[in-house]
Amino acid sequence: MTVDNRYDVIVAGAGHNGLTAAAYLARAGMRVLVVEKNDWIGGAAVSRSLHEGWTYSNCSYVCSLLRREIARDLELPKYGLQVIPYEGGASFTRDGDYFAYYSDHNALKREMARHSEKDADAYRRYSQAIMRQCRFIRPFLLRDAPDPASLHPRDFGELAYLVKKAHGLGSRELGETLKFWTMSIGDFLDEHFENDLIKAHLAGSGIIGTGLGVYSPGTAYVLLHHYMGDIDGGIGAWGFARGGMGAISNAIAASFKEHGGTIHTGSGVEKILSKDGRVEGVALEDGKVFYAPVVASNMDIKRTVLHHIDAAELPDDFTKAVRNFKIRGSSAKLNIALDRFPNFPAAPEHTSFLRGDLHVSQSLLELEKAYDDWKVGRWSEKPYIDMLIPSQIDPTMAPTGAHMMTVFVQYAPYDLEVDGVKSAENWDEKQRNAMAETVLDQMSVACPDIRERVVHMEVRSPLEIEREVGLTEGNIFQGELTFDQLFFNRPVPGWSQYNLPIKGLYLCGSSAHPGGGVMGAPGANAARAILRKETRHGRMKGYAA
Amino acid sequence: MSQFDAIVVGGGVNGLIAGTLLGRRGKNVCIIEKSDRFGGMASYSVDGGPTLAHSLYNLSPRALGDIGIGIQHPVLSSKPVSTVSLSEDGRHIVFKNDGVYWSDGTKHRESDAWSDLTRQLITYGDLLRQLAEAPPPGGQKAILSRGALNEFLRLAKLGIDLKKLGKSEMRRFLQVVLSNVHDIILDDLSEGPVAGMLAADAIWGTATGPRSPGTVFNLIYRLGHGGTITQPAGGMCALTDLMVEAAQKAGCLLMPDTEVSRILLDNDAVSGVETTDGRTIAAPNVLSSLAPKLTSRMTGPSAFDIETMRRVRNIRARGTTAKVNLRLKDSSALPSLSDELAHERLIYAPSVEYVEAAFNPAKYGQMSKAPVIEAFKMQTADGASWLSTIVQYAPSDLEGGWTETAKEQLAEIAVETLSRALPGLGDQIAGKQVITPDKIESATGAPGGHWHHAEMSLDQLLTLRPTNGMSRYSMGPKGLFQCGAATHPGGDVMGLAGRNAALAALEALP
Repeated sequence: MTVDNRYDVIVAGAGHNGLTAAAYLARAGMRVLVVEKNDWIGGAAVSRSLHEGWTYSNCSYVCSLLRREIARDLELPKYGLQVIPYEGGASFTRDGDYFAYYSDHNALKREMARHSEKDADAYRRYSQAIMRQCRFIRPFLLRDAPDPASLHPRDFGELAYLVKKAHGLGSRELGETLKFWTMSIGDFLDEHFENDLIKAHLAGSGIIGTGLGVYSPGTAYVLLHHYMGDIDGGIGAWGFARGGMGAISNAIAASFKEHGGTIHTGSGVEKILSKDGRVEGVALEDGKVFYAPVVASNMDIKRTVLHHIDAAELPDDFTKAVRNFKIRGSSAKLNIALDRFPNFPAAPEHTSFLRGDLHVSQSLLELEKAYDDWKVGRWSEKPYIDMLIPSQIDPTMAPTGAHMMTVFVQYAPYDLEVDGVKSAENWDEKQRNAMAETVLDQMSVACPDIRERVVHMEVRSPLEIEREVGLTEGNIFQGELTFDQLFFNRPVPGWSQYNLPIKGLYLCGSSAHPGGGVMGAPGANAARAILRKETRHGRMKGYAA
Repeated sequence: MSQFDAIVVGGGVNGLIAGTLLGRRGKNVCIIEKSDRFGGMASYSVDGGPTLAHSLYNLSPRALGDIGIGIQHPVLSSKPVSTVSLSEDGRHIVFKNDGVYWSDGTKHRESDAWSDLTRQLITYGDLLRQLAEAPPPGGQKAILSRGALNEFLRLAKLGIDLKKLGKSEMRRFLQVVLSNVHDIILDDLSEGPVAGMLAADAIWGTATGPRSPGTVFNLIYRLGHGGTITQPAGGMCALTDLMVEAAQKAGCLLMPDTEVSRILLDNDAVSGVETTDGRTIAAPNVLSSLAPKLTSRMTGPSAFDIETMRRVRNIRARGTTAKVNLRLKDSSALPSLSDELAHERLIYAPSVEYVEAAFNPAKYGQMSKAPVIEAFKMQTADGASWLSTIVQYAPSDLEGGWTETAKEQLAEIAVETLSRALPGLGDQIAGKQVITPDKIESATGAPGGHWHHAEMSLDQLLTLRPTNGMSRYSMGPKGLFQCGAATHPGGDVMGLAGRNAALAALEALP
């Protein structure tokens, strides 16, 4: 045993949350090692050059949720992170019209009135409601979820904080909040708007990444999960990280290394070592072994517990709960290199909204039907697509004149049904291409010349996402964002505070509270838990503390 | 001087219980019902056929006790029925109190898993019943008042009972209660008719499928009184007759065949009601067992602030359940079922996925081509033999409307579906009655023909039932209360909504 293979903390997985946890711990003076199975870092926040001259954000593709407390604590701008807000977005219709979403309030109101006067009036009430909910939830993102079954003063304190916050809303507002949290995005939009296209445009965020339909209760919260971020204080604003989403991971990694951290890439964790209920280190696939009294896993809970830990080391009911943790693949991704900017016949020239997220879903019912296809194991006949062309704003993504396009596809099942058999193994090239054709058809509603523009296309089914990134079933949130898996239920009841039943083992990925998205909060929260529980004077410093 | 202390509008189960309870506490009450028979959905039938509701599983002993009907009453003491999950291969599955059996009497291998899950849900139901038997928490009260103290004690008791479950059970409760039945069932049971039966029991009367979050709550709700299913001796009408009798005994004046057209207001307080035949009946209090939307129509929108009206308009009530009554040629046994099993509760729900697939078309205004069905074989008063079935899903807003052709199609679908497990059933049928949600709405006033007057979804429960700011039974002007299924805790032939409303009204009555 040499000094070289002993650390204070080992983080398994160099996703943005793992790096965030590592960076906080390194700043607190610990010797931290991050191990990563891929040759590159970033997990799902990654930029990759898969076709010469083009850079793909080939998993996550836009930025908003990253907690600004974390960006400040880790000095990410200093390490090269630039987030550029984009303006608006649009939904195109099949008959050649569009609904544009402008960030300018007056422009948006005029555009809404073009489709429905009533909806233009309703928008204010709608956005007020959403903003109120965002403001309510944000303080909880960087706090621990209390365990309601525990009598520990800390849990009691957190619970009291929750009650205080809830009480502070007043009974009317508290009622509205409870209602919002439990209802479906479809019902919520139906209460406010009448126009199908407007509703379809706004509903998208309620289903991205989940195994739920627009009319499934709880999807209003999922919408919130996508809205609660901000860019430069603009709540709900989204932007591109210059250089692709990998820029975020790279900046965190740079911050981490500057404070003495080490990253070991190219070999994943084979086994998390433990003895007598206490973690000892990790054994890697390439045979190397590293030792540390603390291991934080950035892998999702299922992967961590079911694949990399000896089942005998864990209580049975815990393993059972993990096995029942719902983590469903529901989305696919197309990354496309375009020879030039595609033609959007419906859009006026030089409009700003093409720089935003573009969609072609026509109504809530069309979205709901897309979900029905997924339930039986097929990709949606008319999928919800979220397309963006970041190279309009960020010239580093593609050669001059050419463009890079990212297309998020909802729904695509992990266990694909072919000839009556449901299995992930069915995702061969033929099926992937068939799905891509469906998506291209859907895209043609907005840009009919899309097929001629394609220079190179990467098609990623949930299976590819699982294989490359390591996300079980390719679920982008490392676990469904449903009531039974949020807050003190995340990932499993009784283990919502980042530690796991093996002493010294922690979870720092999106399987933990507050969940997925390029947010960094689970990583920061896990670092705080580690410092508190594993060190003597363990208080984390910084805004996220 | 008013003749009455309170008028109850609508003589369904909740209206009867609310009126009777007030009567027994010395109030002078009149209960007005637009049809010629009291009991609402519990006693509504077409041409003497089976009633709309055809079994009891959730009737509250507490509500009954409060109107002087003992749970031991002969009408209520009939033997509980078992449930039979019908199977196409003729190997039906029987759910009894002590476990799950094949129809040939051998024990099903998932018997223990089913029993464990059901027992767990019944425990949770016990807990939640504490909430159901009182107005929901919240509301504005002086912090040191008796009401606030009572509420605090109730919540404290709930908290202690929750703690008493033990740490891991309490955690599981908090996780499961907001979950969807698809996941909860399939975590412990394998896909098939056992799981299908549980999934079906979670969705009766609601516009949800097993995958919709919140359906576990619906299942717990159904099991809230232990989950025992009975049929009252003499049919559901015998039960409603009993309630009518109790109302009369309590001194209530029952006015059938009378329709209220307006609730009269004087200076933002209730002064009585006006009937369609032009009579005015004066009273300082009105308890309406109609849905909030209908009640607000009777007072006129000006009695409420604009926010309240918006919320009332947004209450979701989309009936998805139809009744298809099949008159049998003779009283002989059903095909493929023993005589004994034929008198149990029959369910056709071969799997969880089947139930979910049945739900899909309802979302788009179409009827299920392969619906989930509950059936009871019964005899009506005239001696005719019927198969009384509940067909889920048949949406109230059917595309093209519920025409005669559509109804005929629904009946055929029901017979076809049942025939898959009971081959030859079609030959035994002498006549059909189809009662679709629109018909239920016109007959009983329930919006969308919905069993619960308002969808039992998480965002319309407890403090949010029927809608935010309206959960304490009083509504708008002074003296106006609501006591129907749209209020907490909800519908079914349970009676707690009416009971709670009457207690809330008593607090406010001078």
